[in-house]
Amino acid sequence: MLPNPTNGKLRILLVEDEPADVELALRALRQAGLDAIGDVAQTVEEFTDLVRKNSYDVILADYKLPNWNGMGSVEVLRQEGLDVPVVVVSGSLGELTAVECIKGGAADYVLKDDLARLPEAARRAMREKKLRSDHKRAQEELARSNQELEQFAYVASHDLQEPLRMVATYTQLLAERYKGKLDADADKYIHYAVDGALRMQKLVQDLLALSRVGRPGLRVRSTDCTAALQAGLQNLETAIQESGARVEHAQLPVVMADSSQLVQVFQNLIGNAIKFRGSETPVIQVSGEAKGKEWVFTLADNGIGIPAENTESVFVIFRRLNTREEYPGNGIGLSICKKIIERHGGRIWVESEVGHGSTFKFTLPVTAIEQQGERTEP
Amino acid sequence: MKTTPEILMVDDNPADIDLTSEILAQSKGRFHVNAVTDGVEAISYLRHQGKYAQAPVPDLVVLDLNLPRKDGCEVLSNIKADPALAKIPVVIFTTSQASTDITRSYKLGANCYLRKPGNLPEFVAVVQSMAEFWLGFASLPQREKR
Repeated sequence: MLPNPTNGKLRILLVEDEPADVELALRALRQAGLDAIGDVAQTVEEFTDLVRKNSYDVILADYKLPNWNGMGSVEVLRQEGLDVPVVVVSGSLGELTAVECIKGGAADYVLKDDLARLPEAARRAMREKKLRSDHKRAQEELARSNQELEQFAYVASHDLQEPLRMVATYTQLLAERYKGKLDADADKYIHYAVDGALRMQKLVQDLLALSRVGRPGLRVRSTDCTAALQAGLQNLETAIQESGARVEHAQLPVVMADSSQLVQVFQNLIGNAIKFRGSETPVIQVSGEAKGKEWVFTLADNGIGIPAENTESVFVIFRRLNTREEYPGNGIGLSICKKIIERHGGRIWVESEVGHGSTFKFTLPVTAIEQQGERTEP
Repeated sequence: MKTTPEILMVDDNPADIDLTSEILAQSKGRFHVNAVTDGVEAISYLRHQGKYAQAPVPDLVVLDLNLPRKDGCEVLSNIKADPALAKIPVVIFTTSQASTDITRSYKLGANCYLRKPGNLPEFVAVVQSMAEFWLGFASLPQREKR
């Protein structure tokens, strides 16, 4: 599309078959200080051709034309992917038609015998258009910067793995070879280095998992939650055996979701329930039921619970409520869950009381949302 | 008479070459490990070119993917396209867990794909099992006469 070569003048397209009405409209604008250059289109072909070639600030469309309807211009703009405000300028049509025009996407509606209102209508339509495009630009900017950040997190955590592997492997080799051959301090320092490297490895792996959730390629398909839960439990086999944890669940629903991500959600939530257990053997009850247009899943445990003031912040990345000595971890697990659930169009939250266990709940829409660039498979 | 198995390790990380050689030296079987640090050297070695005129024919190639000058996939396809070399089993041994790398390697004719573990006990276990399997249990083609 050509740039707007009008030196500050408004570029207007009039959809109008009466030359006198064109003149009247332009005069009304000029009288209000809106200097305008006008093109005229009478047919859908002329209109389409002109909007393709030129960039207009506003379109003034008569409702009734011999072979066309002014509202058709809104439709053409939509098909062309153009956002140019359309002000319907017409003889009296009655309230119903006026409302229909607005609902159909016209920015405003001005009567031909009240053209004094036209300049303000045009100004407002252009203001609104500017707000719309500013908003769109800001959103695009935000999406782009989010994507860059995710890409950065992915590359950084991916490339960190290799040097980290060297540090972990060789400090472990040092520990193995020289344990007891240096002095007690040396053994302790080597132990700190090994421990630090292994923790950092876990951190990098979890960060990678988190950034993977944000990458395109969510494979939404029919997923049996009972199977997803079981896969998660299998990954937790050691922790379940060591703690003697019991996971009780009835048949869970089949939902539209990315199955590997759903496994991760169950795994992280149940892993937490086991990790943050109290003095009793952990018992975790899992259920899922339809409520209106969503599935609501509940995972209730008998663990140490979460103070009321922290029930929101536990989902924030790196947020930990306990010391590493008491409960190891890096504070990424729940933020992964939150990101996965929200990406599926659901919500996640926790209800808890210190000493009385925690109940995590999350929802998934019954009909899967389709995101841009992602697939929904039956 | 059984000859000592020859391993060619292609890896640009000297730490991994050292560690792998040490693990193999301490394992039950006896192996000769030779190492080169880039893809071009690997091909020269296998084709007995230049300073590698006397290099032994390896029974197993342990190949990293991320290599300078000629990357691992190129080396792999060179080996598999060369009638004199194609029968030598190639084990990919790399940090990459990317499914694209795994699929591509097998498509190019890799005989096995192993990921380098991030900690010592697993690294030792992987190297030992690899040697035990490929140079112990597996029947390998007759070594080419030179």
